[in-house]
Amino acid sequence: MPIFDQGYQHWSGTLSSHSMRWWAITRHGVRVGLRSWIVRIALLLSWIPAGFLAFFLSIWGLLERKSELVAPLLPLLGFLDPAVLENPQNYRVEFWTLCFDQFLAFELFFSMVMVLIIGPSLISQDLRFNAMPLYFSRPMRRIDYFVGKLGIIAAFLGLVLVVPSLMAYVLGLLFSLDLTILRDTLLLLLSCIAYGVVIVLSAGTLMLALSSLSRNSRFVALFWLGLWFVSSIVGAVLKTVDTEQRRHAHFRRVYEAENAEPMAIPTNRDEQRQQQQARREQRRNIEEEFSANELKSAKSNWRPLLSYAGNLSRIGQALLNTDASWRRLAESRPENNRQRFMLENMGPQYPWYWSAITLAGLFGLSVVVLNFRIRSLDRLK
Amino acid sequence: MKPIVVFHEVSKWYGNVIGINKLSISIPAGVTGLLGPNGAGKSTLLQLATGQLCPSQGSVRVLEQEVWNNPGLNRYIGLCPEQDAFYEWMTGLDFVQTCARLSGMNQSASKEAAERAIYSVGMTKNSRRAIRGYSKGMRQRIKLAQALVHDPEVLFLDEPLTGTDPVARRDLMDIVLRLGAGGKSVLVSSHVLHEVQSLTPNIILLNRGRLLAEGHVRQIRELIDKHPHQIVLICDEYRKLAGRVLAWDDVESVRVMPRERGVTVETRSPDAFYQRLPALALEPGLALNEVYSDDDNLEAVFKYLVNA
Amino acid sequence: MLFQLENVTKTYGAVTALNNLSVAVPSGAVGLLGPNGSGKTTMIRTLLGLIPVDTGSGSILDLDFRSQQLNIRRLVGFAPEDECLFPRVPSVEFVAYAGELVGMSTKDALQRSHEVLDYVGLGEARYRQVESYSTGMKQRLKLASAIVHDPKLLILDEPTNGMDPAGRDEILQLARDLAHNKGMSLVFSSHLLPDVESVCEHVIVLGAGKLLAEGKISELKQVHRHRYEVRLKAEPGVFAGRLQALGCLVDYRDDLLLVQVPDGETQQMIWRAAAENREQIRSLRPQRSTLEEVFLKAVEHA
Repeated sequence: MPIFDQGYQHWSGTLSSHSMRWWAITRHGVRVGLRSWIVRIALLLSWIPAGFLAFFLSIWGLLERKSELVAPLLPLLGFLDPAVLENPQNYRVEFWTLCFDQFLAFELFFSMVMVLIIGPSLISQDLRFNAMPLYFSRPMRRIDYFVGKLGIIAAFLGLVLVVPSLMAYVLGLLFSLDLTILRDTLLLLLSCIAYGVVIVLSAGTLMLALSSLSRNSRFVALFWLGLWFVSSIVGAVLKTVDTEQRRHAHFRRVYEAENAEPMAIPTNRDEQRQQQQARREQRRNIEEEFSANELKSAKSNWRPLLSYAGNLSRIGQALLNTDASWRRLAESRPENNRQRFMLENMGPQYPWYWSAITLAGLFGLSVVVLNFRIRSLDRLK
Repeated sequence: MKPIVVFHEVSKWYGNVIGINKLSISIPAGVTGLLGPNGAGKSTLLQLATGQLCPSQGSVRVLEQEVWNNPGLNRYIGLCPEQDAFYEWMTGLDFVQTCARLSGMNQSASKEAAERAIYSVGMTKNSRRAIRGYSKGMRQRIKLAQALVHDPEVLFLDEPLTGTDPVARRDLMDIVLRLGAGGKSVLVSSHVLHEVQSLTPNIILLNRGRLLAEGHVRQIRELIDKHPHQIVLICDEYRKLAGRVLAWDDVESVRVMPRERGVTVETRSPDAFYQRLPALALEPGLALNEVYSDDDNLEAVFKYLVNA
Repeated sequence: MLFQLENVTKTYGAVTALNNLSVAVPSGAVGLLGPNGSGKTTMIRTLLGLIPVDTGSGSILDLDFRSQQLNIRRLVGFAPEDECLFPRVPSVEFVAYAGELVGMSTKDALQRSHEVLDYVGLGEARYRQVESYSTGMKQRLKLASAIVHDPKLLILDEPTNGMDPAGRDEILQLARDLAHNKGMSLVFSSHLLPDVESVCEHVIVLGAGKLLAEGKISELKQVHRHRYEVRLKAEPGVFAGRLQALGCLVDYRDDLLLVQVPDGETQQMIWRAAAENREQIRSLRPQRSTLEEVFLKAVEHA
């Protein structure tokens, strides 16, 4: 036929199976998200900590091999214990763990920022522009819709958290040229990825639930910011108030101890020095006792639970087992400084499953809210 | 007939965009239809006529007074706008009563007027429910009620029948016809041509902010001589009829319609053509079963004028 | 059979949306009429398999709507009443996304999207964002996104709502073309009866969840024999008198004369009277009930 019908043609292609329907939503959302220059800049910024992580891991690798490249940096590493510098391999796991821990702290921040940027409009725009009939008149169930939208958040958080972790790990591995690292630290990498999954599930569903509550993405963004900052501040304030009470008592004891017995007036320089040293020793012991008590009471201190980001980082802390690393490092510290060292560096000490329960509760709440807000089309108009 | 609404050389522009361009019309009492494609300036015209906008040029007078900056005149004007903006928590009765009070009636008079207005639009049964639960048709009725509650002289209705089902439509059209017959002036702006046609033959046609045509539909049609009239004749012997008709001078073309068993005739002199028809119908074998013109309605007039 | 419902009942709390409804509809273009609250929306949702019904059974395109809901939606396209968009995308992407959501692959969806946009007449504007479209264009876009996966049944819910006459014409033309020439079945739900008449052959009237009337439009609009609608050029009063003198029953409606000629006579009687009195008849048609009359009668009888 020389002249072809320009009008409507029929189409007889194949339709994919129903289980892949969420993928279309995720793909579309990621494509639309990547168009925004804000998102792209945020992604680039979030990769900077990964660069630093790779750098530090490589330095450590060189240190282990005692290569000359590291020699000029040795004076800078003076803050590390000589025991560590002499035998880096022993402390490998600890070092890697703590580096990743710090890295993940940064990336948690960037994850929350990324969720703030791409999250609010995911469902609220669909509500605002009344796109629900378009979605649900197609062969799709609500669960596909939710999983698809969660997939968008997962994709971006993956780019922020998981991909940089992997790349930094591989770089560190390459610089160490030692495959035994794999055996030691593979668990670490897996924990990182597990942490990423936890963040996606928790922050993702929470953001989706918030997004479904309003038609205006700006309100949702503000609410998310509020939740993040306000909860952190409240947790920190309560914790400080609590700590200050005890520290107050502690200082009173120090003062009392120092002025309990009248000091003999030193006659010469030596005696003065001795006295001062004794006083310092005393102070340090009391400080140590205080730190030990703090550590003990921290085990049941529920106040950090109030901070949402704090809960997430507590889970990270548990997954990476940073407490063990700090404990090991503390062993190389002088006796009377250990507790203080641990108190200053370890994170909150309450049991990790408290955080897990809190996050699970939030997850459940989010699911309930989503279920309620997006009721498909089975309702009276 | 004294014109109720008079636009004199009115223009309205928004920055560079012109809404109304040197419009001069006078709208008499009775029902008038306001038509035009999207962007023709119908909403602007209604807003100018109700005093919501100030004309950039020219004057708008309703009941012989300037509308702009004349809140007292609102006592005599009723507006049924296109948008759906209610206080959703109020009941229908509350809402109409509030509008009545806003136009200056006291508490008892407003309640009575509200109930009367609601009765006239057929919403008495549902007037004590919150507006939140109303269907589209009910909302349109309440909107009309609030426009009528203070018994205005002039009514402006912007798309009053959108979204209403045929039952509600019939009721609302009856109300409008009654108002027009009762001496009020009603200007109905609508897209739905056949509804306007059932309401009134007097129309104002706008296009791109200018007045395109004004008056009785058929008179307008007759003035459009660019397009020849198309008249359909249904007859058993339609081919013989075609031959007969072609002999006439004013016939420009004849199209045969075998499925309907008739012919469509194009003529530039419809008057002369129709005059000859009865004689033609009585000729042997040429009994005319049906005669009608597709042009004799608003849709055709609109199409010819706007697409010209 | 396009679709059939048997004794379907659906209640929302105290409100009964569908009340023991049974209907069977053949393929083709069918109009769905009914006052507000009659259950049209609920019936459409039932047809799409979106809601569970309390009792009853039925099938659409030979698929049981209680168990094959997802499969039904692969074969059905739906253009809802309200404005709905996926924001911040150009319309090609919009329609392609709509196709992907049904399960088309990306390439198929994109190719089909272009085709369909050409068909509905949005070819020129296809790279613009959807928010910038006029009402008429948005309606056509909705239609395009409903047919991108080539459904066998297209459900249009108030497609000409709020459109100006030119826009309405375009949509009706597209609907007619799809239904009559391209073999797609159509369910056309609307309040504007002339629109329904110009597209559909078959019609269903619902009221309070029940079926009030159904059938072919041409059959429902009965022709009244011996009754004619006559419009004159001049005022009809004088001519009416003449016709009555000749034995006709004459009634007025708007500017028409409703003439009932006595038995045995035809419209020739009217022509004769016109010729004798030098009256110009502008229109003479056998009286047919309009679809609006059919509708109102059906609703009244309920």
